[in-house]
Amino acid sequence: MNMEFNFLFDRFGIFLSITFIFIGLMSFIYALATIKQKGHKLEYYLMLLLIVLSGVGVALSNNILFIYICWEIATFAVWRAVVFYRNPDQVSSGNIVFITNFISGAIMLIGIGILYLDNNSLIISQIRQLNLTAIILITIGIFTKSVILPLHFWLIPAYSSIPSAIGGLLAGIAENLGLILFYRLFSTNIYVPDEFFAVVAWLAVISSLIAGGAAYRTNRLRYLLAYSTISQVGFILLGFSAGGQFGNSGAMLYILAHALAKSGLFYGVGTIEDITGEANIKNISCMLKVSPILTVMMALLFSSLVGFFPMIGFFSKLMVIIGALQKNIYFGFFAIASAIFTLLYSDRFYHELFYGEKCDIKEIKSARKVGIVEIIVVFILTLSSLLLGIFFYEILAFIGGF
Amino acid sequence: MREIYYILLLPVMCGLLGFLIKRLRNEMGFLGFVLTLYFSLRIFLLFQNQSFSYDIASIAGIDFRIYVDNLTRFILLFNALFAFLILLYSVLAMRKMPGESVYQLYLGLTLSGANGVVLSGNLILLLIFWNMLVFSLYGILLVGKKESVLAARKALTIIGVSDFIMMLGILIIYVLMGEVNFPVNQKLPLSNGIYIAVYILLLVGALAKAGAMPLHTWIPESAKVVPASTMAFIPASLDKLLGIYFLVRISYYLFDISQSMPIRITLMVIGSITIIFAVMMALVQKEAMRLLSFCAVSQVGYMFLGIGTCIPIGVAGGLFHMLNHTLYDACLFLSAGSVEYRTRTTELDRLGGLGVKMPLTMFCFIIAAFAISGVPPFNGFYSKWMIYQGVIELHKQTNLWVIFLVSAMFGSVLTLASFLKMIHSLFLGERPKELDKVCEARFGMVTPTLILALLCIIFGIFAEQIPLAHLIYPSLPFLRIEKIGFWSAELTTILMILGIVIGLIIFLLGTGLKPRKSKVFVGGEVLDTEQARITGPNFYSSVHNIDMLEKTYKFGGEGAFDFYNYLRGIFGGFSVIFRDVINQFFVIFYRSLAGVIQALGRVFSSIHNGELPGYLGWIFLGGIIILILVGLL
Repeated sequence: MNMEFNFLFDRFGIFLSITFIFIGLMSFIYALATIKQKGHKLEYYLMLLLIVLSGVGVALSNNILFIYICWEIATFAVWRAVVFYRNPDQVSSGNIVFITNFISGAIMLIGIGILYLDNNSLIISQIRQLNLTAIILITIGIFTKSVILPLHFWLIPAYSSIPSAIGGLLAGIAENLGLILFYRLFSTNIYVPDEFFAVVAWLAVISSLIAGGAAYRTNRLRYLLAYSTISQVGFILLGFSAGGQFGNSGAMLYILAHALAKSGLFYGVGTIEDITGEANIKNISCMLKVSPILTVMMALLFSSLVGFFPMIGFFSKLMVIIGALQKNIYFGFFAIASAIFTLLYSDRFYHELFYGEKCDIKEIKSARKVGIVEIIVVFILTLSSLLLGIFFYEILAFIGGF
Repeated sequence: MREIYYILLLPVMCGLLGFLIKRLRNEMGFLGFVLTLYFSLRIFLLFQNQSFSYDIASIAGIDFRIYVDNLTRFILLFNALFAFLILLYSVLAMRKMPGESVYQLYLGLTLSGANGVVLSGNLILLLIFWNMLVFSLYGILLVGKKESVLAARKALTIIGVSDFIMMLGILIIYVLMGEVNFPVNQKLPLSNGIYIAVYILLLVGALAKAGAMPLHTWIPESAKVVPASTMAFIPASLDKLLGIYFLVRISYYLFDISQSMPIRITLMVIGSITIIFAVMMALVQKEAMRLLSFCAVSQVGYMFLGIGTCIPIGVAGGLFHMLNHTLYDACLFLSAGSVEYRTRTTELDRLGGLGVKMPLTMFCFIIAAFAISGVPPFNGFYSKWMIYQGVIELHKQTNLWVIFLVSAMFGSVLTLASFLKMIHSLFLGERPKELDKVCEARFGMVTPTLILALLCIIFGIFAEQIPLAHLIYPSLPFLRIEKIGFWSAELTTILMILGIVIGLIIFLLGTGLKPRKSKVFVGGEVLDTEQARITGPNFYSSVHNIDMLEKTYKFGGEGAFDFYNYLRGIFGGFSVIFRDVINQFFVIFYRSLAGVIQALGRVFSSIHNGELPGYLGWIFLGGIIILILVGLL
């Protein structure tokens, strides 16, 4: 059995590794300021490092089995992170996360086994025979890890329970693993049938639309983040499955844009939850008075999510939509509808959090001040979204493809 | 060539420097905007009657290209002129307002973005600059005299959504054509279904930017809460310049709408509806800024009507009306802003009799009001006259021309009516006592207003010689622009002045200077002058009471004609469905999982019954299976 665990240092892998390590570093700094649990604090940092490790491992690996091992490490680490505070609610969320991910991982393992039997190798570049059964089984794993409808459901309890410091990692790293595998195994492989990509692209764009819609009418902050992640990840998968230069490069850019914006939003929302002790949007308003600087930064992060120039989200969305249109004009309409939903829910949440009619000045004055470390972390993420948006061509030049 | 980079970068750089260095804010802003005006003027003079394009970069296979032609030159010049005048005005008007520190930054950002839109020789580059304007629009609307977040939200949603729709149109062209550079080699045909769809998608962007119905609702919403200079800068001037610029670009340079009658009719219908509905709303407003904003929306209808006719004179009229509109509308907003600066209110029934106290402001306001109502010899008349000619010329092609003509003329009459009401309530009539100490606005605020008013007069009287000959006709892709009818502005002006002089003489010879004054009685009680004052707001309240209109106004007042509400409603409805869908998956999966696990549990518990013979049986069975496996391998 050819079991060399060889690595592939291509530009895509290096680009993703740098992104993941940067997101990991931010999470680490944020955790230093916010994680106060004395007893098992160490466990927390271990899980943080394991998630980063799994991300880098998947990004640089050339062997499907090694990818699978990293995949399971991520499952384990996310599970432990979700149950970090050991509340009964969190434990039940953790069970859902673990069971779902584990079952899908096992299903994927069967697919990998079939691939091995067909090709006698697990090195990605040597895989030429792609059995339809294997493709479907592996796709189930990918959809679960990367939260595409209808296999998204573990994300919602996971997001509701996870400490916000590591939530950024979940949004920025753990959910991208499936997308990376999809790109490595299918997008660059000429032996995969075209119909498969068409089906995946439809699923991705519908998933993105439905999740975007769900985010508009939810009232819980964490649910918003979860639905929004499902929606954005759908966009990334749309890019990879549409393929072509624009689709692939756009999706890669989108991974970066989404990781920066979503982890920034996660930390911002986490900070707001910390100082108000509320998880429901209806009970929070007027955060502008508490922290004007956080208001500005959250506005920029939301606009990166929506895709306004000069944030990096603009170019990634533009390129993904071009890629999708090249494949099929109708994708464009769904993608734009999804983008409009993104605009609407971002607008709603941003304004209800930071503005709002009923401002109780007394209550706000008694609220805890926003810590400097939290602000700095969100600031760095915002600034990098902005600067990378202005110099997006440098990233494109680095990724190559054009 | 360097000028092009200067006018793109200077405004935003100076705005940023002014934001960072508080002490030099006004100097920086002034310097940046004056230089931008200078360079725009240089571009205007340098590249007369020549068009050129060059690529600044090529990223991801897309050429980022600059394109300059006559249309560009003229829009650039006016962008810079308005920005400069508004800056001049806002230095005084915005002093000590909340958010003053970022105001000039947003002005600079808007100007840079607007210049970028106009200079883009590539639809994708245009989209990037267009998107940048969303940012600056949202920011500038937040700098308000009151809580303006609702208005900013509405603007953000409407403009953002229409930008995405426009983005789809641009990207579809890009994918179909492979490139979208100006000038296009061959205009795209409007016979194909997909191209018609693309044109409509792009049209949505132009509609929202220009503020035509039904995408106009953020303008009246923000009128009440943002400073007059913001209103004069964005909805009144820059957005009109950009929206109509884009409309002309797509209608006559990218596509050729002369081939498609349905599209032209659509444009003209949008125009007519906008004219009538908006002016009907303006007629019953009781607040100065809101009234002005509805009139501003109404005027966009003329531009759409003119451009939709596809008759050279009508199109030129539409474009000229856009230019005139920016002049008089900015002038109106600025003079109303001056009144507000001195009186601290814009409610019409609390104002009155300010003509004596603020003569210059009144002069500017009246000139601009006559211009907007299409009174000769001011500029608004000339462009409307051209549009009428275009519509009349349409009679060979469609029978609907009568409706368009009637609605355009009727709209003009109603505009005059609403401005008579406004002039009366602001400057004429009895003055409330608390306004006795009001004096003329500051010099720095009156100057820009006066400049605009003078431009209104000059562009009216010398319309053929100055604006049309140098700005409008060269910008359009028509070889010959034929006029029907006869109009001599000079002669009319002389006759009108003569008429006014004769009227004045009769007025002075008669009892005009000796009005009869007496006390007002109601039921034997003497009313004091304050109560007996006739204020403007109720001038046309009888319109309100016409049976069908009453219901319509009531409906409109509750937001029935607000696209924003429909947008949120439709997407909200889908959203509820989607949320249920997304949650149902969760429920279904976990129910089925629980079912499977329970079934497995039942099977295993029946096996695991605690009886020794049963277990022995299993052990033997297992042993046999292992033996078979060993034998096989």
